[in-house]
Amino acid sequence: MSRLACDFGPLSLQSPILTASGCFAYAQQFEQFLDLKRLGGLSTKGISPLPRRGNPVPRIYETASGMLNSIGLENVGVEAFLSEKLPFLASLGVSIWVNFFGTDFETYVQCARELSEGSAGRIDVLEMNISCPNIKKGGIEFGTVPEVAHKLTRAVTEATDIPVVVKLTPNVADIVGMAQAVAEAGAAGVSLINTITGMAIDVRKRRPRIATTYGGLSGPAIKPVALRMVHQVHRALPELPICGMGGIISGEDALEFIMAGATCVQLGTINFSEPSASVRVTEELDALLDELGFENVAAARGCLESLDPEPPHQEESPWR
Amino acid sequence: MDLWARLWQSRPVPAAQFRVIVERNTALTGGYFQLDLEAPVSTPIAETRAGQFVMLRGEWGRDLLNGRAFSVLDVRDDRHFSVLAKVFGRGTALLSEAEAGTPLTCTGPLGTGFPEPEGDELSLLVAGGVGLPPLHLYARRAAEAGAAKDVVLFYGGRSEADIVLTEAIESAGVELVVATEDGSRGHKGFVTVPLLERLRAAKAEGRALRMLSCGPTPMLQAVRKLALELGVPAHLCLEEQMGCGFGVCLGCAVPVYGELPYKYCCTDGPVFDAREVRWS
Ligand SMILES: Cc1cc2nc3c(=O)[nH]c(=O)nc-3n(C[C@H](O)[C@H](O)[C@H](O)COP(=O)(O)OP(=O)(O)OC[C@H]3O[C@@H](n4cnc5c(N)ncnc54)[C@H](O)[C@@H]3O)c2cc1C
Ligand SMILES: Cc1cc2nc3c(=O)[nH]c(=O)nc-3n(C[C@H](O)[C@H](O)[C@H](O)COP(=O)(O)O)c2cc1C
Ligand code: FES
Repeated sequence: MSRLACDFGPLSLQSPILTASGCFAYAQQFEQFLDLKRLGGLSTKGISPLPRRGNPVPRIYETASGMLNSIGLENVGVEAFLSEKLPFLASLGVSIWVNFFGTDFETYVQCARELSEGSAGRIDVLEMNISCPNIKKGGIEFGTVPEVAHKLTRAVTEATDIPVVVKLTPNVADIVGMAQAVAEAGAAGVSLINTITGMAIDVRKRRPRIATTYGGLSGPAIKPVALRMVHQVHRALPELPICGMGGIISGEDALEFIMAGATCVQLGTINFSEPSASVRVTEELDALLDELGFENVAAARGCLESLDPEPPHQEESPWR
Repeated sequence: MDLWARLWQSRPVPAAQFRVIVERNTALTGGYFQLDLEAPVSTPIAETRAGQFVMLRGEWGRDLLNGRAFSVLDVRDDRHFSVLAKVFGRGTALLSEAEAGTPLTCTGPLGTGFPEPEGDELSLLVAGGVGLPPLHLYARRAAEAGAAKDVVLFYGGRSEADIVLTEAIESAGVELVVATEDGSRGHKGFVTVPLLERLRAAKAEGRALRMLSCGPTPMLQAVRKLALELGVPAHLCLEEQMGCGFGVCLGCAVPVYGELPYKYCCTDGPVFDAREVRWS
């Protein structure tokens, strides 16, 4: 068996390298750049029950080692996704994670239900993005209050037979509390992290750099935060499958996430500048696992050791 | 195959990502520089249509994440092409310092090109600043195809130093009309002044006309206004913030009239019909 094969809860993946939502569209555009069959899987652009048009421009701005985006969750909607996008995705034979969201409780459940009804076995995971403003609750994100996330996850898992992986937002005080809340509600795993809310200013024009003022920060700039969150959640909930992401651009980055406790990882922003990055990262990870003597991905998962303790302080050195 | 047909094939060419090295970096006046690039192996670049672009990125590690978009200025064969640029921010500053032999990653050719002319209509090309490359390429290709008389290049800049690479246009036999804001070369003022004169004259002759334009947004807005007022078809090559260049980040939205509020600069454009662009 290949060194890269791994299990994410009930799912078998041929590799732990997947591509992230919103950074891989519906995959067709990438066909010209790489062999999509080599991916462990891919997560689609977030789908809502009805098509969404997206935000005004400018929508993106590059910052130090990262980028801000405020695309506005633009997508084709469930119906067009099932009829126009899913057949191509299903033909790839890799794990298909359909990222989805709603604007209130009902639309989340409706979206999950409609996707499962149209899935015909072609969707492997419903990846629920809970970093969306709850329109009925004055725009507070679903993903910031554990009780709300719990209720939402419960309602969605009851509406579908497809495993639900909840994608958590890092914009919370207690990421472990959030992970726990959704795990107890029936989530098959968690994806972390989504983008970190940020801002950039054009001082000459005295204007924000993107139209919505705040946007989501992604890319290598957020990797330390993402790793810390993966590690915290894994330490508290070692049985919970974690899909880690945030700034991964190399095999070594991927292995850092795996050692921190991720079962698999997703690559986001790097796909923009290097559309075939997922294949390179897969090869780098394979070589690195070999070099470090890991038989497979599972052997490396969560294998982080703590630093040796410092010897106790003494006023007199014993080595005089 | 008919040369026009070959130069304006409507079949989209699949893009590729490939390595190139800087063959030559030539500093021009006005802070402009021309990068002549060479790929070690055959690439789809030979199929580039005027108006298409490439995303270029140096070995910049984890900072300056995304490629920078540049219109293709010239294509010599499937391994050799050029871009024209000016320092704008950090990415273009790094590229301006690239020495011969510097490796870059290139993705392309991307986007749509300018549409084919219909019959013997006169194409008035309107360029400003870094908007020159696609029109430079268009004009030279028209001349190659024996249609030098069917194009006129209007080229505007702040002063003489901003006007570059005009010899190739003149030697191709394409009429060139230059305007500078300070009057140091050609007409004094905006390029849209001599353009309007020519539009009126050509209309009076009853000549079929169109405009193709690329340059700073205020210039494109002026061209669009003329086009709408005089009822002359116009195609504008737009710039928008780009993340990927091939239609996946959805960052490069262009507001348009029509069923949907936005189109995408990198895949639906960068060339748009002036009538569809939703500018106030
Ligand atoms: C289709 C197209 C064709 C272009 N052709 C040319 C050309 O032939 N010659 C030339 O000199 N310039 C051209 N540009 C503009 C060029 O892409 C920008 O000047 C360049 O990206 C600025 O990068 P920077 O790192 O210097 O600036 P920064 O401000 O540091 O860039 C920050 C980010 O914003 C993006 N960005 C900033 N300004 C622009 C812009 N005007 N358009 C698109 N993205 C931008 C950059 O790509 C980068 O991701 C073109 C742009 C587009 C969209
Ligand atoms: C342009 C863009 C669009 C995104 N769209 C979505 C989305 O629709 N749904 C979602 O759950 N995450 C979305 N994300 C977040 C990514 O999937 C990922 O969690 C994040 O970018 C961190 O990974 P990275 O640093 O590798 O990009 C988007 C990110 C970017 C940059
Ligand atoms: S630049 Fe990414 S979609 Fe156009």
